Amino acid sequence: MMHKRWTMVAAVLVVASLILTACPSPTPEVVKEVVKETVVVEKEVVKEVVVTPTPVPRKVLRLNMGPGDIPTIDPALSTDTSSVQIVELTTVGLTRQNEETTAIEPGMATSWDISEDGLTYTFYIREGVPWVKYDATKDQVVQVLDCNGNPRIVNAYDFQYGILRTLDPKTASDYAYVLAFAIQGADLYNSGEITDTAQVGVTVVDTYTLQITFKEPAAYNANIAGMWVAHAQPKWLIEGDECTEARGDRWTETGFFQGYGPYTLKEWIHDASITLIKNPFWPGIDSVPQAKIEEITWSMLDEVPAFAEYEAGNLDSAAVPLADIDRVKADPVLSQELKIAPVLCTYYYGFNTKAPVVDDVRVRRALSMAIDRQSLIDNVLKGGQEPAQWFSRPGLAGAPTMETHPDLGVKYNPEEAKKLLDEYLQEKGLTADQLDLTLMFNTASAHQKIAEAIQQMWKDVLGINVKLTNQEWKVYLETIRSPEATPQIWRLGWCQDYPDANNFVREVFSKGGSANPREGGGVNWENPKFEELVVQAAREQDPAKRVELYAQAEQILVWEDAVIAPIYWYTRVTVTKPYVQRTYSVLGGLEHIEKWDIVQ
Amino acid sequence: MGRYIARRFIWMLLVLFVVSVITFVLMHAIPGGPFDREKSLPKEIMENLNARYHLDEPLPMQYARYVYDVMIPHITTKPPSNSLQDDHLININLGGVWVKWMNFGPSYSSRSRTVNDIFRQQLPVSAQLGVMALMVALLIGIPLGVLAALKQNTIWDYLGMSVAIFGVSVPVIVLGPILIWLFGVTLKWLPPTGWGAKPPYFLGIFPTNPGIEFFKYAIMPSVALGMGSSAIIARLTRASLLQVIREDYIRTARAKGLAERVVITRHALKNALIPVVTVLGPMFAALVTGTFVTELIFGIPGMGKYFVVSITNRDYPVIMGTILLYVVFLVIANLIVDILYGVLDPRIRYT
Repeated sequence: MMHKRWTMVAAVLVVASLILTACPSPTPEVVKEVVKETVVVEKEVVKEVVVTPTPVPRKVLRLNMGPGDIPTIDPALSTDTSSVQIVELTTVGLTRQNEETTAIEPGMATSWDISEDGLTYTFYIREGVPWVKYDATKDQVVQVLDCNGNPRIVNAYDFQYGILRTLDPKTASDYAYVLAFAIQGADLYNSGEITDTAQVGVTVVDTYTLQITFKEPAAYNANIAGMWVAHAQPKWLIEGDECTEARGDRWTETGFFQGYGPYTLKEWIHDASITLIKNPFWPGIDSVPQAKIEEITWSMLDEVPAFAEYEAGNLDSAAVPLADIDRVKADPVLSQELKIAPVLCTYYYGFNTKAPVVDDVRVRRALSMAIDRQSLIDNVLKGGQEPAQWFSRPGLAGAPTMETHPDLGVKYNPEEAKKLLDEYLQEKGLTADQLDLTLMFNTASAHQKIAEAIQQMWKDVLGINVKLTNQEWKVYLETIRSPEATPQIWRLGWCQDYPDANNFVREVFSKGGSANPREGGGVNWENPKFEELVVQAAREQDPAKRVELYAQAEQILVWEDAVIAPIYWYTRVTVTKPYVQRTYSVLGGLEHIEKWDIVQ
Repeated sequence: MGRYIARRFIWMLLVLFVVSVITFVLMHAIPGGPFDREKSLPKEIMENLNARYHLDEPLPMQYARYVYDVMIPHITTKPPSNSLQDDHLININLGGVWVKWMNFGPSYSSRSRTVNDIFRQQLPVSAQLGVMALMVALLIGIPLGVLAALKQNTIWDYLGMSVAIFGVSVPVIVLGPILIWLFGVTLKWLPPTGWGAKPPYFLGIFPTNPGIEFFKYAIMPSVALGMGSSAIIARLTRASLLQVIREDYIRTARAKGLAERVVITRHALKNALIPVVTVLGPMFAALVTGTFVTELIFGIPGMGKYFVVSITNRDYPVIMGTILLYVVFLVIANLIVDILYGVLDPRIRYT
């Protein structure tokens, strides 16, 4: 024991001596006497001041993307708003949607011709727009050069490659279905039935002219040609060529990425932040001007901490969490920065029309009429949402509006609802409390709150007890699409892919649509009149007639057959600092930030 | 000792095998697949996705493929490509010949990345946070426990244990926003969210120059995450120390006339810490891997999210990868604990 202790002491001494020798040798100690004396000195100081022009501060915008990493920024693979937001800023489609009016505008195509039969679109592509990338060593955006040292200019081949890459079954793109559904031969290529891309209706006429042949002479064709999945993609970077290393699906990572839009990727720290930098080579056009803000950084925070960052001055715009809305409205500063803006999304309850009780249209209509949507918005949601009388959100091309069709669809009408249900009950010889009804939603507190409020309304107005049940998201999705297990009443939301009523009414509820599987499940419904109307509406070229056709289809969907109970049309509640000049996009939150500015 | 570690290593492989089979079977048994979305996908699109990720093969085949990709080292003359399918965690160049090992597969939800990318980029951040949270837990927990034990049934004891109960019962989801509001928004002393270190990391884990900025970002999340563990440590230390100071050998030490300070630090505390050390291993593993809420609240780009979100996304390779990683962590942490026992108590021998 003694021995061990001495070794320890010796060791400590060795270490201490090592540390001490590493220090500079101490100076000999000198004892100083301190004399305190106050001396007042008066002197004029002449100072030379060198004035340098103060550099103009870079305009940097700080936003929040929402919690979690962005799944991808690859045009072919993007499916969610966050991904599409980056894609739309770094690349530009043939056509572009106006984010406020949803009107279709020129993008990379300066103009387009439509053939007599309305099937073939010839796009004339803007010349002289170079591919660019961010060069970290120079801290600037540079042009991408080809193997001969010339700048690579975006052309029809890049667009053709982009569309075919999205459709390639090996790419396994989710949204390939939108192109497959619209372009001639695209579905056969996508499902692997043909491998010859010449049979797909995408042809390069010359370097700056691209021809797309569609299946139907539909009014929304030009919109589909402009969608993110149809953007130009850099073949040399993805597949490699003589002077470029192939990056495969990794081409979108920091350091590799190439684009041509008003911004390009500077840095993407996964799950933390993504930064875009202004592309000075983007020529700037009326619909997509050259960017005024030099850099945009998105953090990836949950709503609550993001709002804290906004209040701390570290973010320039943020969504307002539900719990803070009342406080923000009451606050003299924050209320000035608040904006409630519409978003092209709809929240609804679907009925399984083959399930007991709700297989009778009177019950479905009574349930829908008994929902006091305004009260739900005022007391539960509080975000200034709009009560939905039908499915396709006003603002979409072809969709009816509250001004033109104030009485279309379904409204809160407790007396009528009660009368309808009583009629049904009398016929069946039942009482209201004998009805066995279940409403299912996916596990989330917001859906729970909405369901509880509506459950209470049904109890108060109709006297029926509806059971609530919930499931985890993916289990839920499988349940509501299964022919056997779909509950009587279920919830879902729908947001636009392209701003046309076709994307809502037809793509969701016609037989085989997203919420109406051919095999059963979902709304489990078919109405030949409805099917005819939506096809007719898609082909109709006169905008006013289209609205009428969709209004008729909606009337069948939400009133005559009452297949769904539309509940509300979404809004976004955001605060923005006063020095940010911005637009408010209705495209599901897809902002056109190249139009924004920061003014001090 | 060497033999002991070797045996433990073999056990680890066995545990990994069993855990991987159970995880694989369970995750495929949960209803809903990785590509079920709110907007239902047409059959052809689903087939393309399933074919790309080999989900169209029978399950035993998929499992065999996974084990082959992860466990079997490949020796090839082909240099590593940029393809997501060819991303091995270990790529050793032996003069033109490459040894590639551990391909954990692509992530289904983060489509330009692989599970290995997630390990390389997110794990170091979680490790940094976990180490600091553990330090917070030890620095608060042990002194608090000792104080409570020595001043048993006094105001100090009650105070210390109140703090401990507070730590256990106030979850991160409450403590985090309070800290952000107090120190981030109101006092503006600390940045409310974010993380101070950026890749690349020294040795793949440590921030290359951890300056004051790094700690400014780290302090709130470390405290929020470490508080709960500090309470556990404080209570364990207290209980264990109270038991130890009633032992005969402590009475003997006191009878010898040793100073109370020496009795406590040298004789009592060393033994009292054994149960504390026992929980440190799993606690560290839990801190590194179970940081979901903390990372979400403070916007930290760590692994925590992937543990939870991968299951809700049915991102099979990420689920498998993170769970296997967790098992490796747990086994190694326990091994270190067992070795530490010997240091604290020389009576413990390895056979």
